[in-house]
Amino acid sequence: MIRIVTDSTSDILPDQAKRLGIDVVPLTVRFGDEQFRDGIDLDPDAFYRRLSNTTVQPRTSQPTPEQFAEVYRRHVSAGDSVVSVHISAKLSGTLQSASLAASEFPDEAVRVVDSTTVSAGMQFLVRTALADVAAGSDAAAVEKGVADRRGRVGVYVLLDTLTYLHRGGRIGRAQSFVGGILNVKPLLCVRDGEVHPEARVRSRQQGIAKLVEIAVAQGPLEGLAAFHCGAPGQLSLIQPLLEAAYPDLEVIPGQLGAVVGTYSGPGGVGIALLRAR
Amino acid sequence: MSGEASPNLRLVHEPVLTTGGEELLAALRGALAALQANQEEINDLNVFPVPDGDTGSNMYLTLRSAVEEAADAADPSSAAAVLGAAAHGSLMGARGNSGVILSQVLRGLAQGVEGQARLDVRGWAHGFAEARTVAYKAVMKPTEGTILSIIREAAEEAERGADDSADIAALLERVVLASHAAVARTTEQLQVLRDAGVVDAGGFGLAVILDAMSRSIAAPGSASGSQTPHAAGDRPEAPLETTGRAQRPRGRRGAAAVAAKQGGWGYCTEFLIHGPGLDLEALRDEMGRLGESALVVGDDDLVRVHIHTGEPAPLIALASSRGRLSKLKVEDISAQHHDVLDRAEAVATAEAQSPGGRIAPEAPRKAVGVVSVAPGQGFRDILASLGADAVVEGGQTMNPSIEDLLNAVRAAHAETVVLLPNNGNVILTAEQVDGLIDECEVRVVPTRNLPQGISALLALEPDAGLDANVERMTAAIEHVHALEVTRAVRDSASNGHHIKAGDVLGILDDEIREVGSDEAGVIEAVLGSVDAPPELVTVYRGGDVTAADADALAAGLRKRFTQTEFEVHDGGQEHYSYVLSLE
Repeated sequence: MIRIVTDSTSDILPDQAKRLGIDVVPLTVRFGDEQFRDGIDLDPDAFYRRLSNTTVQPRTSQPTPEQFAEVYRRHVSAGDSVVSVHISAKLSGTLQSASLAASEFPDEAVRVVDSTTVSAGMQFLVRTALADVAAGSDAAAVEKGVADRRGRVGVYVLLDTLTYLHRGGRIGRAQSFVGGILNVKPLLCVRDGEVHPEARVRSRQQGIAKLVEIAVAQGPLEGLAAFHCGAPGQLSLIQPLLEAAYPDLEVIPGQLGAVVGTYSGPGGVGIALLRAR
Repeated sequence: MSGEASPNLRLVHEPVLTTGGEELLAALRGALAALQANQEEINDLNVFPVPDGDTGSNMYLTLRSAVEEAADAADPSSAAAVLGAAAHGSLMGARGNSGVILSQVLRGLAQGVEGQARLDVRGWAHGFAEARTVAYKAVMKPTEGTILSIIREAAEEAERGADDSADIAALLERVVLASHAAVARTTEQLQVLRDAGVVDAGGFGLAVILDAMSRSIAAPGSASGSQTPHAAGDRPEAPLETTGRAQRPRGRRGAAAVAAKQGGWGYCTEFLIHGPGLDLEALRDEMGRLGESALVVGDDDLVRVHIHTGEPAPLIALASSRGRLSKLKVEDISAQHHDVLDRAEAVATAEAQSPGGRIAPEAPRKAVGVVSVAPGQGFRDILASLGADAVVEGGQTMNPSIEDLLNAVRAAHAETVVLLPNNGNVILTAEQVDGLIDECEVRVVPTRNLPQGISALLALEPDAGLDANVERMTAAIEHVHALEVTRAVRDSASNGHHIKAGDVLGILDDEIREVGSDEAGVIEAVLGSVDAPPELVTVYRGGDVTAADADALAAGLRKRFTQTEFEVHDGGQEHYSYVLSLE
């Protein structure tokens, strides 16, 4: 049997994981001395509540190789093979831990794949991998499916504020993009494994219009998701617009988890999409 | 041989059969002096009650640049060479719409003379005809009742005049009469001019130029060119009473303030006179009468002269009759001052806006650069913070020249450049830039105000190509409205409003929407009148508004418009107490 393993930056919550029959290895989130397993000890709602009420910048760290090895061992010893799909190697060291763990096992028992994306974008790759498994693909074909599809995934986030990107020291290229005088909301994009500035707007309304415009321009689509960052009200603004643009697609709702949320901060809204071939 | 053709013209000069480079340069200098003397007059012909583009200052600065380059013409004796240099100089220095059209008139004139060293009446007529053609081409929708009508009628009269007489002086006199008549007609040709009871400013400026040139060519060496062009007794009065009008105390700055000295001693003239047998005392006396701050020193072999004069030509002519001249230098005094300011500013701006100061020429060029124009340090800082590679100072009352824009485009150090004029009076100037630069492609996104400029800049996607960016930026300006608040500089009736000088005007997207007595009331009224309440209003306060006043204004607006977010920033612009962007 082929098992799919991912990490918590996919923002797949434990009960969803159980339903899908996959393993989600948690990253670690720390607020000062307090330490949480992402999504397990700290769900996204609790995370954003904390984030809004503290000046302490949370830190995240990748899972240890041993956390992955534990999961892989369970499956391999049961005679299963593993396809392990993770956050872009350019955004986190998670993939490295997973690869280290995989090297302990016989060749081809554990296949580790870089999703080159994050969050709802990873979810598309996990879900389509599961569909491949269900359709009877072998592990190599499932791995190849992920690698083939990842170039068609896009994740776009409209940040409400730059404060958290600043605090986390991850502002980088976005700094020159958003300037410093006017209150500009950046729209960032995760593409080819990296975060790119995509557009900048002066108001949330303009930003939501821009997200919908992007979804339309990227069509035709095979998958479409909308997510918020601790602000469910934002979803109700964008979801109907996306559904109107793609009446035949289910717009999968979700929430951006702690790892990416640490940098986005609360109040953001975004979309993920999987372009048709 | 001439004169008989029109009995009302008195022949007071010898016929002029041909004109060469020297005469043309003198004529252009005369025109420059006349334009300087009439600068405020032309500025005051503003149709709109808002502080508008200074047509007179713009034409003066444009022509000044023409004269400077003409004085350095490769072959000073050749009419074609002098006109060619003048055309190039005017193009580099062109500011504002009237300046650009003036530069096109000079360009046409230069093309029309077809390389001739000396022009006869046919040459002049052909030059005028070409000037008309080129000037009309420069404007997308040519409108009668503007400077274009004047050059057209001048060209038509020149054509008729060339058939009647071979005397250039007579021809030009007819052309001048026809231009003044055409200027007078502009009031009837355009509704806005009729409402304001004025003639077209740019057209009047061109008539002043032609008048002074004609005078200089008819009587070479006379000092009349330096006087107001309507003072000479043997000329018909201009249709406008221009000499006796009191000057309005207006808060002009920049070009106009520098050059406001009426008919002043505008040129710093320096040269050496070589003897032998020079009479120092006599020279000191003669020269002193032709200028101010005269410094005449030396001996009977060599005399150094340094003098400020409104008309260098007769001075030089006199000096050259006394001995051989060398080291001749003629500089426009106000020009020196202005150029220094301009250049210092351009360099400072380019350096300030490019991270790390000057860009080494070998550094790789960006794919897409942005050059923007803004009045006020606040706006310039904002534009630079949003990624403009160079920001040129200028706006409503200080239109940048083509050369200013060219320099900024070069400073942007990019393979392609998007130019954001941010003012209706700068768009035409901006559109000339691409034709003058080989090393990069320049496209104009026609932003008419700062809010549009900022929206366009926000839409920039550094990784996308030029076409994609021009498209994005052009689309972006449609989603923003600009409310500009200023005080009327004159009484007028405009757009159904009766406006008194000092009234506060609320101008929404170039249209006067509200007239009132205080800023807050006018802004509230305009915001209350728009169809859908904006989500975000950004308030840019002018240089004369304190942060506390602007914050108080915003606090009041937040109470009244609860659905709208208000942000206050320092724009630093002149003349406009507030510029608001509505999104």
